[in-house]
Amino acid sequence: MKRSLVRIFTVLMLLGLVITACAPQAATEEAMEQPAATEAAQPAATDEAMPAPVEKTVVIGFTSSLTGSQEVSSKRQVNGLNLWMQQVNDAGGIQLSDGTVVKFEAVTYDDESNKERVQELYTRIITEDNADFLISPYSSGLTAAATIVAEQNGKIMLTAGAAEDDAYKTGNTSLFQLYTPGSLYLISTVDMLKTLDPSAKVAIVHENDKFSTAVIDGLKPYLDQQGFEVVLEEGYASDTTDFGPVINKLVESGATVLLGGGHYPDGSTFARQLYERKVGLNFISLLVAPADSKFPELGDAALGIATSSQWELAATHTEAEAAALGKEWYGPTGTDFAAAYEAMTGDKPTYHVAGGYMTGLVLQKAIENADSVDPDAVRAALEAMDIFTFYGGVQFDTTPEAHGLQISHKMVVAQWQKNDAGELQRVVIWPADVATADPLYPIPAP
Amino acid sequence: MKLWNKYSGLIVPVIVVLALAIWPIITGKPANRETAFTILKAIALATSLNILLGYTGYVSFGHIVFYGFGGYVGLFLLTEKNWSLGAAILAGGVASGILAYLLGSAILRLRGAYFALATIGVNEAMRSFITNFELFGASTGITLNFSVYKAYGGAAQALQTSFYIGAGLALLALIISYLVRTSKFGLGLLAIRENEDAAEVMGVVAPRAKTWAYVLSAIVPGMIGVLFFFKNGNVEPHDAFPLNASIELLVMVMLGGQGTVLGPILGAFAYQGMRGYLVTSPIFKNIQLSVSGVLLLLIVLFIPAGVVGWLRHRIPSLRKVLA
Repeated sequence: MKRSLVRIFTVLMLLGLVITACAPQAATEEAMEQPAATEAAQPAATDEAMPAPVEKTVVIGFTSSLTGSQEVSSKRQVNGLNLWMQQVNDAGGIQLSDGTVVKFEAVTYDDESNKERVQELYTRIITEDNADFLISPYSSGLTAAATIVAEQNGKIMLTAGAAEDDAYKTGNTSLFQLYTPGSLYLISTVDMLKTLDPSAKVAIVHENDKFSTAVIDGLKPYLDQQGFEVVLEEGYASDTTDFGPVINKLVESGATVLLGGGHYPDGSTFARQLYERKVGLNFISLLVAPADSKFPELGDAALGIATSSQWELAATHTEAEAAALGKEWYGPTGTDFAAAYEAMTGDKPTYHVAGGYMTGLVLQKAIENADSVDPDAVRAALEAMDIFTFYGGVQFDTTPEAHGLQISHKMVVAQWQKNDAGELQRVVIWPADVATADPLYPIPAP
Repeated sequence: MKLWNKYSGLIVPVIVVLALAIWPIITGKPANRETAFTILKAIALATSLNILLGYTGYVSFGHIVFYGFGGYVGLFLLTEKNWSLGAAILAGGVASGILAYLLGSAILRLRGAYFALATIGVNEAMRSFITNFELFGASTGITLNFSVYKAYGGAAQALQTSFYIGAGLALLALIISYLVRTSKFGLGLLAIRENEDAAEVMGVVAPRAKTWAYVLSAIVPGMIGVLFFFKNGNVEPHDAFPLNASIELLVMVMLGGQGTVLGPILGAFAYQGMRGYLVTSPIFKNIQLSVSGVLLLLIVLFIPAGVVGWLRHRIPSLRKVLA
């Protein structure tokens, strides 16, 4: 009897696996496959007198976190990259002056949000899959491991979800960062607080990881410089699910403003528990989580929660802005980018999506400027780049001390507020010149 | 022939490890080198855990603490004190051995589930301590500057060197395991595993024997920790003390066959080899966690004694070879 049960159980599990393996791939995979299909269907050169253009397929390699703690943000980053790739391939690729048409294809694996496999997978991507250019995994920790492999193979790696500063200060020559560095993440928020409530008592409660700690390390001296009193500084473990003890300390500290957070899982849980405990803070700014389109699933717990955002559609950058700054404008408008993304996925783009898209767009611009896909020429083009896009400025530090660190891009402060229909929407509240709404300050008591 | 008869229990595991070390050289593929490194690291860690789990019967859910602690000590010495890689690896092993001695003296008085729970506590306490320990970089950890690799011929050569050292450490772990298994000291440990009270009556000084088994099982993980984080370029608390890695090590030991020299090697090979294949397989890469879970379940259901245990039971003539 027992043996029969075991056999039935085994057969059922194997059947389940076969069905799962035969099932259609996820939407993101489909999106990734599409460019290849488009490429195959590309018509031949129309002018018979002209020699047929030589088509070169550039392989872009990266790992993504299909599972694990970085899953949500990582998938959005990959979606953004897929959108760019689909667009550039559909548009016929990049035309070089020698007649070569450059098209792109991706090779990617699941890193499980686990650093152990990152080096193994990036080595495979470079040496077996022959990737020409690399995109970083999502998160500073995973990227730090991947950079070693990129550096040893002399491969250019464009990074999006890797804001922590240290990775760019190791003497590398191949990294190029699209995000504003972690140490500058909360500077705009402090500037806003200075105008709203200079006497605010600040509590800093953050995830104890590489990225969040780097943000806080940049924040503390700036708070001090601006004359704010920090009444509490507390770190929590990345896998924290019960914030009760931290909230108790927060209440006892007498803080009126909370700055901190970490990533999506902890940030959303923290926001919900703050609401349930009716802590009654005037202002809450958390990293990463409130920037995700899933965040309003928290309901009223999301109301008033602010975040530092790399990009917001409501305050997207424009060609006029570029002209005023005297910078070269490049790429689509924010509205066109958002519409294309919504058409592809049915979802609104977050800054993680924009970051992923930008890695592709910046690579495209570098190849165009270099008029080549030669890595050294593309590297030189990236080092010389100073452009302005819907995402904002893009320029890289070229000093040996911090090679590749982003020095042009600025962040905005976004907050979840209710519109006239009572629906939650993310609005931009700072800087004042791009704000779409006034800050909700203080946050209404739960 | 005489040599084979006497040392067959050692020769077979050595051949397996050497074959794994030579595979990337023959194929000339760096991707194979990285895959082999992951497996060799697992072999060294699982074999070390087997000294405590397999021979002594004490289940440690927090054995990864020695890997993380050794790694931190080694990377600190490499970056802050400019020690060479070799000296840092030795220091990492010694530091983990000392930690094991101190911990073992206290928690090895506990038995069964109480000891297992205590090991989890030790790992979590160490992670919390390191997260707040400024000397080791607190929560941001320690990041290596690329200039460190220049002393080893650049980043590419440093990864190659790391691979050879990893193979050497895997060999060291299995030699220690074999020597313990075939020694009088090892016999005492096996007696403790079967019945600790009876072993003490027979003259085995159980607390001392268990503590030394714990120390021996901690040294190589400490050394491997230094090597891995050197190769990885940085160390952070959550990478250094992942509880799930401890559980994976237990699975590897159980899978291959606890209490044998070859068992953990086969377990580590099968587990990491399978994960490595699934994660890059075009068919399975999107469901690799489900597939590996089902495969593990099947193995546990049908061969609960592990591969080596099953083979020893089915083919008695192999018992000498599969030590």
